[in-house]
Amino acid sequence: MAAVLEVEGVTGGYGRIPVLHGVSLQLDAGERIGLFGPNGHGKTTLLRTISGLLRPWQGDIRFEGQSIASRRPNRIVDLGIVHVMQGSTMFRDMSVAENLRLGAYSARARPDAAANLERVLQIFPRLRERSAQHARTLSGGERQMLAIGVGLMAAPRLLMLDEPTLGLAPRLKDELAEAVGAIAATGIPLLLVEQDVQFLLDLTSRLLMIEHGAVIAEFTAEAALDQAHIAEMYFGKRAN
Amino acid sequence: MDILSSVLLSGVVLGSLYALMATGLALVWTTLGIFNFAHGIFIALGAYVAWQFGTEEGFGLGATIGIVAAVSLLAALGCLIERTLVRPFLGHRNLVLAVVITTLAALIFLENSALLVWGPRFKQLPPLVDGTLAIGGLDIAAHEVLIVLLSPALLLALWAFLRLTYMGAALRAVSQNQDAALMVGIPVPVLFALAFGISAALAAIAGVLLGSIRFITPAMGNEPLVKALIVAIFGGLGSISGTIGGAYVIGMLEAVCVYFIGLYWTPAALFLCMILVLLVRPQGLFGRVD
Repeated sequence: MAAVLEVEGVTGGYGRIPVLHGVSLQLDAGERIGLFGPNGHGKTTLLRTISGLLRPWQGDIRFEGQSIASRRPNRIVDLGIVHVMQGSTMFRDMSVAENLRLGAYSARARPDAAANLERVLQIFPRLRERSAQHARTLSGGERQMLAIGVGLMAAPRLLMLDEPTLGLAPRLKDELAEAVGAIAATGIPLLLVEQDVQFLLDLTSRLLMIEHGAVIAEFTAEAALDQAHIAEMYFGKRAN
Repeated sequence: MDILSSVLLSGVVLGSLYALMATGLALVWTTLGIFNFAHGIFIALGAYVAWQFGTEEGFGLGATIGIVAAVSLLAALGCLIERTLVRPFLGHRNLVLAVVITTLAALIFLENSALLVWGPRFKQLPPLVDGTLAIGGLDIAAHEVLIVLLSPALLLALWAFLRLTYMGAALRAVSQNQDAALMVGIPVPVLFALAFGISAALAAIAGVLLGSIRFITPAMGNEPLVKALIVAIFGGLGSISGTIGGAYVIGMLEAVCVYFIGLYWTPAALFLCMILVLLVRPQGLFGRVD
Protein backbone atom coordinates (compact mmCIF):
# COMPACT_ATOMS: atom_id res chain seq x y z
CA MET A 1 0.00 0.00 0.00
CA ALA A 2 1.16 3.49 -0.79
CA ALA A 3 2.16 5.66 2.13
CA VAL A 4 -0.13 8.62 2.77
CA LEU A 5 2.02 10.23 5.42
CA GLU A 6 5.69 9.66 6.08
CA VAL A 7 7.43 11.34 8.99
CA GLU A 8 11.16 10.81 8.86
CA GLY A 9 13.51 11.63 11.73
CA VAL A 10 11.73 14.84 12.62
CA THR A 11 13.13 17.00 15.38
CA GLY A 12 11.48 20.19 16.49
CA GLY A 13 9.87 22.13 19.28
CA TYR A 14 8.98 25.59 20.48
CA GLY A 15 11.49 28.42 20.14
CA ARG A 16 14.77 26.83 21.12
CA ILE A 17 13.24 24.18 23.36
CA PRO A 18 13.37 20.81 21.67
CA VAL A 19 10.38 18.49 22.12
CA LEU A 20 10.65 16.05 19.25
CA HIS A 21 13.85 14.02 19.10
CA GLY A 22 13.69 12.19 15.81
CA VAL A 23 10.14 10.95 15.26
CA SER A 24 9.52 8.58 12.40
CA LEU A 25 6.26 7.01 11.40
CA GLN A 26 4.41 5.92 8.31
CA LEU A 27 0.70 5.88 7.70
CA ASP A 28 -0.66 3.91 4.74
CA ALA A 29 -3.79 4.57 2.72
CA GLY A 30 -6.93 3.84 4.71
CA GLU A 31 -4.93 3.19 7.86
CA ARG A 32 -5.77 4.44 11.31
CA ILE A 33 -2.99 5.02 13.78
CA GLY A 34 -3.30 5.85 17.45
CA LEU A 35 -0.65 7.82 19.34
CA PHE A 36 -0.43 7.58 23.09
CA GLY A 37 2.06 8.20 25.84
CA PRO A 38 2.63 10.41 28.85
CA ASN A 39 1.68 14.10 28.77
CA GLY A 40 4.30 16.56 27.64
CA HIS A 41 6.25 14.10 25.53
CA GLY A 42 5.48 15.48 22.11
CA LYS A 43 2.23 14.04 20.77
CA THR A 44 0.59 17.42 20.26
CA THR A 45 3.89 18.94 19.10
CA LEU A 46 4.12 16.23 16.44
CA LEU A 47 0.64 17.05 15.13
CA ARG A 48 1.42 20.78 15.15
CA THR A 49 4.60 20.10 13.19
CA ILE A 50 2.80 17.97 10.60
CA SER A 51 0.11 20.63 10.11
CA GLY A 52 2.70 23.36 9.65
CA LEU A 53 2.04 25.38 12.81
CA LEU A 54 5.60 24.50 13.77
CA ARG A 55 8.50 24.00 11.41
CA PRO A 56 10.54 20.82 11.75
CA TRP A 57 14.20 21.54 12.54
CA GLN A 58 15.44 18.39 10.91
CA GLY A 59 13.98 15.49 9.03
CA ASP A 60 11.22 15.40 6.47
CA ILE A 61 7.46 15.08 6.36
CA ARG A 62 5.90 13.79 3.15
CA PHE A 63 2.24 13.64 2.18
CA GLU A 64 1.50 11.34 -0.74
CA GLY A 65 5.14 11.47 -1.67
CA GLN A 66 5.69 15.24 -1.68
CA SER A 67 7.53 17.04 1.06
CA ILE A 68 5.40 19.38 3.16
CA ALA A 69 8.05 20.19 5.76
CA SER A 70 8.41 23.86 4.80
CA ARG A 71 4.88 24.64 3.61
CA ARG A 72 2.55 27.16 5.13
CA PRO A 73 -0.35 25.80 7.21
CA ASN A 74 -3.01 26.91 4.71
CA ARG A 75 -1.17 25.11 1.87
CA ILE A 76 -1.06 21.97 3.99
CA VAL A 77 -4.81 22.21 4.61
CA ASP A 78 -5.27 22.69 0.85
CA LEU A 79 -3.57 19.33 0.35
CA GLY A 80 -6.10 17.75 2.70
CA ILE A 81 -4.29 17.36 6.01
CA VAL A 82 -6.72 18.51 8.66
CA HIS A 83 -5.75 18.90 12.31
CA VAL A 84 -8.49 19.14 14.93
CA MET A 85 -6.81 20.75 17.89
CA GLN A 86 -7.11 19.75 21.48
CA GLY A 87 -9.87 21.51 23.42
CA SER A 88 -10.40 24.17 20.77
CA THR A 89 -13.49 26.36 21.03
CA MET A 90 -13.07 27.29 17.36
CA PHE A 91 -14.57 30.70 16.59
CA ARG A 92 -16.26 31.60 19.85
CA ASP A 93 -18.33 34.57 18.77
CA MET A 94 -19.75 32.92 15.68
CA SER A 95 -22.71 30.64 15.34
CA VAL A 96 -22.25 26.91 14.91
CA ALA A 97 -23.46 27.22 11.32
CA GLU A 98 -20.93 29.96 10.58
CA ASN A 99 -18.12 27.93 12.17
CA LEU A 100 -18.98 24.99 9.95
CA ARG A 101 -19.18 27.20 6.87
CA LEU A 102 -15.65 28.48 7.56
CA GLY A 103 -14.45 24.89 7.84
CA ALA A 104 -14.79 24.67 4.06
CA TYR A 105 -12.52 27.68 3.47
CA SER A 106 -9.94 25.88 1.36
CA ALA A 107 -10.63 25.90 -2.37
CA ARG A 108 -10.61 22.10 -2.46
CA ALA A 109 -13.37 21.82 0.16
CA ARG A 110 -15.68 24.58 -1.05
CA PRO A 111 -17.45 22.83 -3.95
CA ASP A 112 -18.56 19.97 -1.66
CA ALA A 113 -19.49 22.20 1.28
CA ALA A 114 -23.23 21.49 1.10
CA ALA A 115 -22.79 17.72 0.93
CA ASN A 116 -20.18 17.73 3.68
CA LEU A 117 -22.41 19.86 5.90
CA GLU A 118 -25.21 17.31 5.57
CA ARG A 119 -22.76 14.54 6.47
CA VAL A 120 -21.46 16.42 9.52
CA LEU A 121 -24.98 17.10 10.77
CA GLN A 122 -25.81 13.43 10.32
CA ILE A 123 -22.82 12.38 12.41
CA PHE A 124 -23.45 15.07 15.02
CA PRO A 125 -27.23 15.70 15.13
CA ARG A 126 -26.66 17.93 18.14
CA LEU A 127 -24.89 20.50 15.98
CA ARG A 128 -28.07 20.82 13.94
CA GLU A 129 -30.02 21.69 17.11
CA ARG A 130 -27.36 24.21 18.13
CA SER A 131 -26.93 25.64 14.64
CA ALA A 132 -27.80 29.24 15.55
CA GLN A 133 -25.99 29.28 18.91
CA HIS A 134 -22.62 30.93 19.42
CA ALA A 135 -19.74 28.50 19.84
CA ARG A 136 -18.87 29.91 23.25
CA THR A 137 -22.26 28.85 24.61
CA LEU A 138 -21.68 25.17 23.79
CA SER A 139 -20.85 22.53 26.38
CA GLY A 140 -17.45 20.83 26.36
CA GLY A 141 -18.75 17.82 24.44
CA GLU A 142 -20.56 19.96 21.91
CA ARG A 143 -17.45 22.08 21.39
CA GLN A 144 -15.52 18.93 20.62
CA MET A 145 -18.19 17.86 18.16
CA LEU A 146 -18.03 21.29 16.53
CA ALA A 147 -14.23 21.15 16.26
CA ILE A 148 -14.39 17.73 14.58
CA GLY A 149 -17.31 18.89 12.43
CA VAL A 150 -15.33 21.91 11.22
CA GLY A 151 -12.43 19.55 10.47
CA LEU A 152 -14.71 17.34 8.37
CA MET A 153 -15.97 20.40 6.47
CA ALA A 154 -12.39 20.84 5.22
CA ALA A 155 -12.80 17.56 3.29
CA PRO A 156 -9.84 15.82 4.95
CA ARG A 157 -7.72 13.27 3.15
CA LEU A 158 -5.89 12.73 6.42
CA LEU A 159 -7.61 13.62 9.68
CA MET A 160 -5.59 14.24 12.83
CA LEU A 161 -7.57 14.36 16.06
CA ASP A 162 -5.87 15.55 19.23
CA GLU A 163 -7.48 14.10 22.37
CA PRO A 164 -11.09 14.36 21.21
CA THR A 165 -12.44 12.97 24.49
CA LEU A 166 -10.34 15.03 26.88
CA GLY A 167 -12.36 15.91 29.97
CA LEU A 168 -15.61 14.40 28.72
CA ALA A 169 -18.07 12.30 30.73
CA PRO A 170 -18.08 8.57 29.88
CA ARG A 171 -21.45 8.75 28.14
CA LEU A 172 -20.26 11.57 25.88
CA LYS A 173 -17.02 9.74 25.33
CA ASP A 174 -18.95 6.75 23.95
CA GLU A 175 -21.02 9.03 21.75
CA LEU A 176 -17.87 10.63 20.38
CA ALA A 177 -16.15 7.28 19.89
CA GLU A 178 -19.14 6.19 17.84
CA ALA A 179 -18.90 9.36 15.74
CA VAL A 180 -15.18 8.93 15.15
CA GLY A 181 -15.90 5.31 14.26
CA ALA A 182 -18.42 6.49 11.67
CA ILE A 183 -15.81 8.86 10.25
CA ALA A 184 -13.22 6.08 10.18
CA ALA A 185 -15.68 3.82 8.35
CA THR A 186 -15.69 6.25 5.43
CA GLY A 187 -12.05 5.33 4.86
CA ILE A 188 -10.38 8.62 5.80
CA PRO A 189 -6.92 7.88 7.17
CA LEU A 190 -6.76 8.85 10.83
CA LEU A 191 -4.01 9.92 13.19
CA LEU A 192 -5.56 9.86 16.62
CA VAL A 193 -3.94 11.13 19.81
CA GLU A 194 -5.61 9.90 22.97
CA GLN A 195 -4.81 9.03 26.56
CA ASP A 196 -7.56 6.43 26.73
CA VAL A 197 -5.96 3.32 25.27
CA GLN A 198 -9.25 1.44 25.10
CA PHE A 199 -10.64 4.24 22.93
CA LEU A 200 -7.65 3.86 20.61
CA LEU A 201 -7.88 0.07 20.50
CA ASP A 202 -11.50 0.29 19.40
CA LEU A 203 -10.80 2.71 16.60
CA THR A 204 -7.31 2.13 15.26
CA SER A 205 -5.33 -0.72 13.86
CA ARG A 206 -1.91 0.31 15.10
CA LEU A 207 -0.75 2.06 18.26
CA LEU A 208 2.47 4.02 18.62
CA MET A 209 3.76 4.97 22.02
CA ILE A 210 5.52 8.33 22.15
CA GLU A 211 7.90 9.15 24.93
CA HIS A 212 10.63 11.81 25.14
CA GLY A 213 9.78 13.01 21.66
CA ALA A 214 10.25 9.72 19.86
CA VAL A 215 8.26 6.64 18.95
CA ILE A 216 9.48 4.07 21.46
CA ALA A 217 7.09 1.19 20.90
CA GLU A 218 4.57 -0.05 18.38
CA PHE A 219 1.64 -2.37 18.93
CA THR A 220 -0.89 -3.82 16.57
CA ALA A 221 -4.42 -4.21 17.82
CA GLU A 222 -4.36 -7.91 16.89
CA ALA A 223 -1.37 -8.60 19.09
CA ALA A 224 -3.67 -9.14 22.09
CA LEU A 225 -2.60 -6.04 23.85
CA ASP A 226 -3.70 -5.91 27.42
CA GLN A 227 -4.04 -2.95 29.70
CA ALA A 228 -1.58 -4.35 32.22
CA HIS A 229 1.16 -4.37 29.62
CA ILE A 230 0.54 -0.72 28.78
CA ALA A 231 0.39 0.24 32.44
CA GLU A 232 3.80 -1.38 32.71
CA MET A 233 5.08 0.67 29.81
CA TYR A 234 3.82 3.83 31.47
CA PHE A 235 4.89 3.26 35.02
CA GLY A 236 7.63 0.65 34.76
CA LYS A 237 7.62 -2.78 36.33
CA ARG A 238 6.32 -3.00 39.83
CA ALA A 239 9.23 -3.22 42.25
CA ASN A 240 8.60 -5.97 44.77
CA MET B 1 -31.42 76.58 21.68
CA ASP B 2 -29.36 77.58 18.70
CA ILE B 3 -26.17 77.17 20.67
CA LEU B 4 -27.20 73.77 21.92
CA SER B 5 -27.90 72.57 18.36
CA SER B 6 -24.56 73.78 17.08
CA VAL B 7 -22.75 72.12 20.00
CA LEU B 8 -24.62 68.89 19.22
CA LEU B 9 -23.81 69.20 15.52
CA SER B 10 -20.15 69.75 16.24
CA GLY B 11 -20.25 66.68 18.49
CA VAL B 12 -21.74 64.53 15.76
CA VAL B 13 -19.14 65.77 13.22
CA LEU B 14 -16.29 64.98 15.61
CA GLY B 15 -17.87 61.65 16.51
CA SER B 16 -18.11 60.70 12.85
CA LEU B 17 -14.43 61.44 12.24
CA TYR B 18 -13.36 59.62 15.43
CA ALA B 19 -15.50 56.65 14.42
CA LEU B 20 -13.60 56.34 11.11
CA MET B 21 -10.21 56.52 12.85
CA ALA B 22 -11.00 54.43 15.91
CA THR B 23 -12.66 51.67 13.89
CA GLY B 24 -9.45 51.22 11.92
CA LEU B 25 -7.45 51.03 15.14
CA ALA B 26 -9.90 48.55 16.63
CA LEU B 27 -9.89 46.41 13.47
CA VAL B 28 -6.11 46.03 13.64
CA TRP B 29 -6.27 45.51 17.38
CA THR B 30 -8.87 42.73 17.19
CA THR B 31 -7.26 40.99 14.24
CA LEU B 32 -3.57 41.16 15.13
CA GLY B 33 -3.64 42.02 18.83
CA ILE B 34 -1.33 44.99 18.32
CA PHE B 35 -1.66 48.74 18.46
CA ASN B 36 -0.58 50.65 15.37
CA PHE B 37 1.05 53.95 16.36
CA ALA B 38 1.56 54.88 12.71
CA HIS B 39 -2.22 55.21 12.34
CA GLY B 40 -2.05 59.00 12.88
CA ILE B 41 0.28 59.54 9.95
CA PHE B 42 -2.15 57.63 7.69
CA ILE B 43 -4.61 60.45 8.36
CA ALA B 44 -2.10 63.16 7.40
CA LEU B 45 -0.81 61.24 4.36
CA GLY B 46 -4.38 60.64 3.17
CA ALA B 47 -4.97 64.39 3.22
CA TYR B 48 -1.62 65.17 1.54
CA VAL B 49 -2.14 62.63 -1.25
CA ALA B 50 -5.65 63.92 -1.91
CA TRP B 51 -4.24 67.46 -2.00
CA GLN B 52 -1.38 66.45 -4.29
CA PHE B 53 -3.57 64.67 -6.82
CA GLY B 54 -6.71 66.72 -6.50
CA THR B 55 -5.96 70.41 -6.12
CA GLU B 56 -4.72 72.94 -8.66
CA GLU B 57 -1.46 73.47 -6.74
CA GLY B 58 -0.79 69.77 -7.12
CA PHE B 59 -1.55 67.68 -10.22
CA GLY B 60 -4.99 69.24 -10.56
CA LEU B 61 -6.79 66.02 -11.43
CA GLY B 62 -9.93 66.83 -9.49
CA ALA B 63 -11.26 65.92 -6.08
CA THR B 64 -12.56 62.48 -7.09
CA ILE B 65 -9.21 61.27 -8.40
CA GLY B 66 -7.57 62.83 -5.36
CA ILE B 67 -9.74 60.79 -3.00
CA VAL B 68 -9.36 57.58 -5.00
CA ALA B 69 -5.59 58.07 -5.01
CA ALA B 70 -5.55 58.78 -1.27
CA VAL B 71 -7.58 55.71 -0.39
CA SER B 72 -5.77 53.29 -2.69
CA LEU B 73 -2.23 54.53 -1.96
CA LEU B 74 -2.86 54.53 1.77
CA ALA B 75 -4.39 51.04 1.66
CA ALA B 76 -1.23 49.92 -0.12
CA LEU B 77 0.94 51.69 2.46
CA GLY B 78 -1.00 49.96 5.24
CA CYS B 79 -0.30 46.56 3.68
CA LEU B 80 3.36 47.50 3.21
CA ILE B 81 3.74 48.51 6.85
CA GLU B 82 2.14 45.26 7.98
CA ARG B 83 4.45 43.28 5.71
CA THR B 84 7.68 45.02 6.71
CA LEU B 85 7.18 46.23 10.29
CA VAL B 86 4.71 43.80 11.83
CA ARG B 87 4.92 40.43 10.14
CA PRO B 88 8.60 39.77 10.91
CA PHE B 89 7.71 39.88 14.60
CA LEU B 90 4.58 37.74 14.51
CA GLY B 91 4.87 34.78 16.82
CA HIS B 92 7.63 36.54 18.69
CA ARG B 93 7.36 36.63 22.46
CA ASN B 94 7.69 40.41 22.60
CA LEU B 95 5.42 41.08 19.63
CA VAL B 96 3.44 43.91 21.25
CA LEU B 97 6.50 45.81 22.41
CA ALA B 98 8.40 45.27 19.16
CA VAL B 99 5.46 46.59 17.14
CA VAL B 100 5.11 49.62 19.42
CA ILE B 101 8.70 50.47 18.52
CA THR B 102 8.50 49.71 14.79
CA THR B 103 5.23 51.58 14.26
CA LEU B 104 6.47 54.55 16.31
CA ALA B 105 9.55 54.56 14.09
CA ALA B 106 7.33 54.49 11.01
CA LEU B 107 5.33 57.41 12.42
CA ILE B 108 8.44 59.54 12.91
CA PHE B 109 9.94 58.53 9.58
CA LEU B 110 6.77 59.21 7.59
CA GLU B 111 6.00 62.41 9.45
CA ASN B 112 9.40 63.86 8.57
CA SER B 113 9.17 62.53 5.03
CA ALA B 114 5.88 64.38 4.62
CA LEU B 115 7.56 67.53 5.91
CA LEU B 116 10.39 67.10 3.37
CA VAL B 117 8.06 66.40 0.47
CA TRP B 118 5.31 68.94 1.10
CA GLY B 119 7.16 71.55 3.16
CA PRO B 120 6.16 73.32 6.34
CA ARG B 121 3.52 75.51 4.72
CA PHE B 122 -0.03 74.71 5.85
CA LYS B 123 -2.27 73.36 3.14
CA GLN B 124 -5.97 72.90 2.96
CA LEU B 125 -8.34 70.89 0.82
CA PRO B 126 -11.36 72.64 -0.61
CA PRO B 127 -14.62 71.37 0.91
CA LEU B 128 -15.94 68.38 -1.02
CA VAL B 129 -19.31 70.08 -1.30
CA ASP B 130 -19.86 73.82 -1.13
CA GLY B 131 -22.59 75.85 0.46
CA THR B 132 -24.81 75.42 3.44
CA LEU B 133 -27.99 73.54 4.10
CA ALA B 134 -30.79 74.89 6.24
CA ILE B 135 -31.89 72.05 8.48
CA GLY B 136 -34.34 72.73 11.28
CA GLY B 137 -33.69 76.45 11.21
CA LEU B 138 -29.96 75.89 11.41
CA ASP B 139 -27.46 76.71 8.68
CA ILE B 140 -25.10 73.78 8.40
CA ALA B 141 -22.09 73.63 6.11
CA ALA B 142 -22.78 71.03 3.45
CA HIS B 143 -19.34 69.58 4.01
CA GLU B 144 -20.23 68.81 7.63
CA VAL B 145 -23.44 67.15 6.52
CA LEU B 146 -21.35 65.02 4.18
CA ILE B 147 -19.07 63.97 7.04
CA VAL B 148 -22.03 63.07 9.22
CA LEU B 149 -23.62 60.97 6.46
CA LEU B 150 -20.55 59.44 4.82
CA SER B 151 -18.94 58.10 7.96
CA PRO B 152 -21.85 55.90 9.12
CA ALA B 153 -22.33 54.76 5.51
CA LEU B 154 -18.71 53.60 5.29
CA LEU B 155 -18.90 51.91 8.68
CA LEU B 156 -22.11 50.19 7.64
CA ALA B 157 -20.31 48.96 4.52
CA LEU B 158 -17.49 47.64 6.72
CA TRP B 159 -20.04 45.94 8.96
CA ALA B 160 -21.69 44.33 5.94
CA PHE B 161 -18.30 43.18 4.67
CA LEU B 162 -17.42 41.61 8.03
CA ARG B 163 -20.84 40.02 8.55
CA LEU B 164 -22.04 39.04 5.11
CA THR B 165 -19.02 38.07 3.04
CA TYR B 166 -16.93 34.94 3.28
CA MET B 167 -13.71 36.94 3.47
CA GLY B 168 -15.18 39.12 6.20
CA ALA B 169 -16.08 36.00 8.16
CA ALA B 170 -12.52 34.78 7.69
CA LEU B 171 -11.23 38.09 9.06
CA ARG B 172 -13.41 37.73 12.16
CA ALA B 173 -12.29 34.11 12.46
CA VAL B 174 -8.65 35.20 12.55
CA SER B 175 -9.40 37.64 15.36
CA GLN B 176 -11.22 35.00 17.41
CA ASN B 177 -8.87 32.06 17.10
CA GLN B 178 -5.74 32.33 15.04
CA ASP B 179 -4.67 28.69 15.31
CA ALA B 180 -8.12 27.43 14.38
CA ALA B 181 -8.17 29.84 11.43
CA LEU B 182 -4.87 28.40 10.19
CA MET B 183 -6.27 24.90 10.60
CA VAL B 184 -9.24 25.52 8.33
CA GLY B 185 -6.86 26.81 5.68
CA ILE B 186 -7.29 30.56 6.09
CA PRO B 187 -4.10 32.35 4.92
CA VAL B 188 -3.77 34.34 8.14
CA PRO B 189 -0.94 36.70 7.02
CA VAL B 190 -2.98 37.77 3.98
CA LEU B 191 -5.86 38.72 6.26
CA PHE B 192 -3.49 40.62 8.55
CA ALA B 193 -2.47 42.71 5.54
CA LEU B 194 -6.14 43.14 4.64
CA ALA B 195 -6.96 44.44 8.14
CA PHE B 196 -4.08 46.92 7.90
CA GLY B 197 -5.16 47.98 4.42
CA ILE B 198 -8.78 48.62 5.44
CA SER B 199 -7.62 50.44 8.56
CA ALA B 200 -5.32 52.74 6.56
CA ALA B 201 -8.00 53.37 3.92
CA LEU B 202 -10.47 54.47 6.61
CA ALA B 203 -7.79 56.74 8.09
CA ALA B 204 -7.17 58.22 4.63
CA ILE B 205 -10.86 59.06 4.27
CA ALA B 206 -10.85 60.63 7.73
CA GLY B 207 -7.80 62.66 6.62
CA VAL B 208 -9.51 63.87 3.46
CA LEU B 209 -12.58 64.94 5.43
CA LEU B 210 -10.48 66.55 8.16
CA GLY B 211 -8.20 68.26 5.62
CA SER B 212 -10.90 70.67 4.57
CA ILE B 213 -12.00 71.72 8.05
CA ARG B 214 -8.50 71.95 9.53
CA PHE B 215 -5.06 72.63 8.07
CA ILE B 216 -3.02 69.76 6.66
CA THR B 217 0.21 69.31 8.56
CA PRO B 218 2.39 66.24 9.04
CA ALA B 219 1.25 66.09 12.67
CA MET B 220 -2.45 66.68 11.99
CA GLY B 221 -3.28 63.05 12.77
CA ASN B 222 -1.67 62.89 16.18
CA GLU B 223 -4.30 64.70 18.18
CA PRO B 224 -7.21 62.83 16.57
CA LEU B 225 -5.22 59.62 17.11
CA VAL B 226 -5.09 60.23 20.84
CA LYS B 227 -8.83 60.83 20.79
CA ALA B 228 -9.33 57.69 18.72
CA LEU B 229 -7.31 55.79 21.29
CA ILE B 230 -9.55 57.09 24.06
CA VAL B 231 -12.54 56.09 21.95
CA ALA B 232 -11.23 52.58 21.32
CA ILE B 233 -10.50 51.98 25.00
CA PHE B 234 -13.63 53.78 26.17
CA GLY B 235 -15.88 51.85 23.80
CA GLY B 236 -14.35 48.51 24.67
CA LEU B 237 -11.25 47.47 22.79
CA GLY B 238 -11.94 44.66 20.45
CA SER B 239 -15.55 45.39 19.76
CA ILE B 240 -16.07 47.27 16.50
CA SER B 241 -19.65 48.27 17.27
CA GLY B 242 -18.60 49.37 20.78
CA THR B 243 -15.88 51.50 19.21
CA ILE B 244 -18.35 53.20 16.89
CA GLY B 245 -20.70 53.91 19.81
CA GLY B 246 -17.79 55.19 21.86
CA ALA B 247 -16.76 57.53 19.04
CA TYR B 248 -20.06 59.38 19.08
CA VAL B 249 -20.11 59.55 22.89
CA ILE B 250 -16.59 61.00 22.98
CA GLY B 251 -17.29 63.37 20.08
CA MET B 252 -20.37 64.70 21.83
CA LEU B 253 -18.55 64.95 25.16
CA GLU B 254 -15.71 66.85 23.54
CA ALA B 255 -18.07 69.34 21.90
CA VAL B 256 -19.85 69.94 25.19
CA CYS B 257 -16.57 70.31 27.10
CA VAL B 258 -15.11 72.70 24.53
CA TYR B 259 -18.18 74.88 24.84
CA PHE B 260 -18.55 74.84 28.62
CA ILE B 261 -15.01 74.49 30.02
CA GLY B 262 -12.92 75.52 27.03
CA LEU B 263 -10.46 73.91 24.66
CA TYR B 264 -7.63 73.91 27.17
CA TRP B 265 -9.20 71.58 29.72
CA THR B 266 -11.06 69.37 27.28
CA PRO B 267 -8.41 66.64 26.83
CA ALA B 268 -8.05 66.37 30.60
CA ALA B 269 -11.81 66.03 30.96
CA LEU B 270 -11.89 63.32 28.28
CA PHE B 271 -9.12 61.33 29.92
CA LEU B 272 -10.84 61.72 33.29
CA CYS B 273 -14.00 60.34 31.74
CA MET B 274 -12.12 57.42 30.29
CA ILE B 275 -10.53 56.62 33.66
CA LEU B 276 -13.89 56.84 35.43
CA VAL B 277 -15.53 54.54 32.90
CA LEU B 278 -12.68 52.05 33.17
CA LEU B 279 -12.94 52.09 36.98
CA VAL B 280 -16.57 51.05 36.78
CA ARG B 281 -16.44 49.01 33.58
CA PRO B 282 -12.90 47.75 32.93
CA GLN B 283 -14.16 46.06 29.75
CA GLY B 284 -15.09 49.47 28.30
CA LEU B 285 -18.45 51.15 27.94
CA PHE B 286 -19.84 48.70 25.38
CA GLY B 287 -17.32 45.91 25.92
CA ARG B 288 -18.29 42.43 27.00
CA VAL B 289 -16.82 40.45 29.87
CA ASP B 290 -15.39 37.15 28.73
